[in-house]
Amino acid sequence: MKRRRAGTVGLGVFLVLVCAFALFPFAWMLVTSVKPQAEIMSIPPRLVPARVTLGHYADVFLKSRMPRYFLNSTVVAAGSTLAALAFAVPGSYGFARLRFRGRAFLQSAVLSSQMLPTAAIIVPLFIILKTLHLLNTFLGLVLAYLVITLPLSVWMLASYFRTIPVDVEEAAQLDGCSRLGVLLRVALPLSLPGITATAVYCFVVTWNEFLFALSFATNGRVMTLPIGLMEFTQEFTVDWGALMAGSILMTVPIVILFFAIQRAFISGLTSGATKG
Amino acid sequence: MLFTLPVSLFLLAFIAFPLFTNLRLSLTTPGGALTGRYFAALFKDRSLWASVLTTVIYVGGSVALQLVLGTAVGIALDRPTRLRGVVRSIILVPWVVPGIVAALTWAWMYHGDFGILSRLLIDLGVADARQGLLTRPATVLPALIAVNVWKMFAFVAVMVLAGLQGIDPSLYEAARVDGSSFWHEVRWIMLPGLRGVLVSILLLLTIWGFNSITIIYAMTQGGPADLTMILPLHVYRMGFSFFNFNAAAAESILLFAILAALIAVYLRLFSHREQET
Repeated sequence: MKRRRAGTVGLGVFLVLVCAFALFPFAWMLVTSVKPQAEIMSIPPRLVPARVTLGHYADVFLKSRMPRYFLNSTVVAAGSTLAALAFAVPGSYGFARLRFRGRAFLQSAVLSSQMLPTAAIIVPLFIILKTLHLLNTFLGLVLAYLVITLPLSVWMLASYFRTIPVDVEEAAQLDGCSRLGVLLRVALPLSLPGITATAVYCFVVTWNEFLFALSFATNGRVMTLPIGLMEFTQEFTVDWGALMAGSILMTVPIVILFFAIQRAFISGLTSGATKG
Repeated sequence: MLFTLPVSLFLLAFIAFPLFTNLRLSLTTPGGALTGRYFAALFKDRSLWASVLTTVIYVGGSVALQLVLGTAVGIALDRPTRLRGVVRSIILVPWVVPGIVAALTWAWMYHGDFGILSRLLIDLGVADARQGLLTRPATVLPALIAVNVWKMFAFVAVMVLAGLQGIDPSLYEAARVDGSSFWHEVRWIMLPGLRGVLVSILLLLTIWGFNSITIIYAMTQGGPADLTMILPLHVYRMGFSFFNFNAAAAESILLFAILAALIAVYLRLFSHREQET
């Protein structure tokens, strides 16, 4: 009994340390973002700021182009999320419910495209977008992001659709519903948690994405936050206060969004991986 | 069939066709003539093979530590305490934080003069930290691996936790009747029960490792002296800094082949061990 208790204490200490490890960089970001410039550049660095300022946030809002990038990121993330759902909802329903020639092949093609390394496709994608005159456009970015989000969206949604009892859908079909009607009136409402989780996944991935944004959207009109954030770093001078304030502003919406749907997302993710 | 048509067409146009374009670029000159010179050049490019080695160290080191730490945290969380939900939420923060934000924040913590981690290391007696962990050849790769581990270990923990909940409780009961210790349960019940999950995680982490350009690009850009130039970054530089699309295409096919070979080895190992039991 005593050994069990000692073990529990040990595990507790371990978990506290792990949480500290997970949160410390985020906390340091926050601390730096509210420190006056002189304190940021103090040796040794102070853990707790002596004076708190919101000056860096003011700089980000008023003196940088971050508000514009914020808007761009929102447009691109929302657009690519809607586009992913428009493709993935019917597609995943088809994979989950319908039998047709070539289904197995198509399904494994979708699955394996999820494993595609981004670097292996970025050059040809650049050429295609250039040919279509879609570089530095919102549409081009949205299309490029579908390459990343669509495969996993189809996978997640198909596993949700499979959890809906077939009887419910068959009953609706007996009542004279078409396949499309079944999807829209029965399957869709029943899988709303899954659709929400998928939508948030697409939004978060797009919001955070760096490499495609770096390669396909170099113009300030369409530039998104991850690239815009780099404007605070020059080769020899980095405005750490503003950079950390901008990082906080970019991260907090995503973290809130993620925690709002955390439960549904994790169950979708793990059910696919532990059973499949 | 009709339902899956849009997805299929999209994947054909934006994944299958680009892959074909890659193949075409790697085998033809800008004029359009068939050539093997881009692949031949790969074998002579010493920086490329150095970057393959760097990739193996970076991805291998990251994946190993992510697996060990993530599995330990998953096992530690596998008991119904009130804190489990809170801890799980907290550790997921690094995973959700944008990669670029993670990279820049860690770069700030590693800063030679004002970085909090450098200061900690100096206080612990690692005087080298004063020059900045990211500029010293001996410390730069471990420093980057630490960021990658921080970012991804929670994913392993969450998957392991889910896998543990699928283990038959009667196994534990039987073991406890026999008076087995906690470590005994970990070794003989949890780890064997997790094998399937761990293999899928290993596969995903490896693929993501090969994709993780953001952290290195933002923190070191492959430097100092190309020491952190992992293969995907090498491809990217060839394409977008040197604008040699044909050579970049040939390199990306090499990247693709290495990853495909690794996946095949994993799957072979896994199905082989499955047959034994």
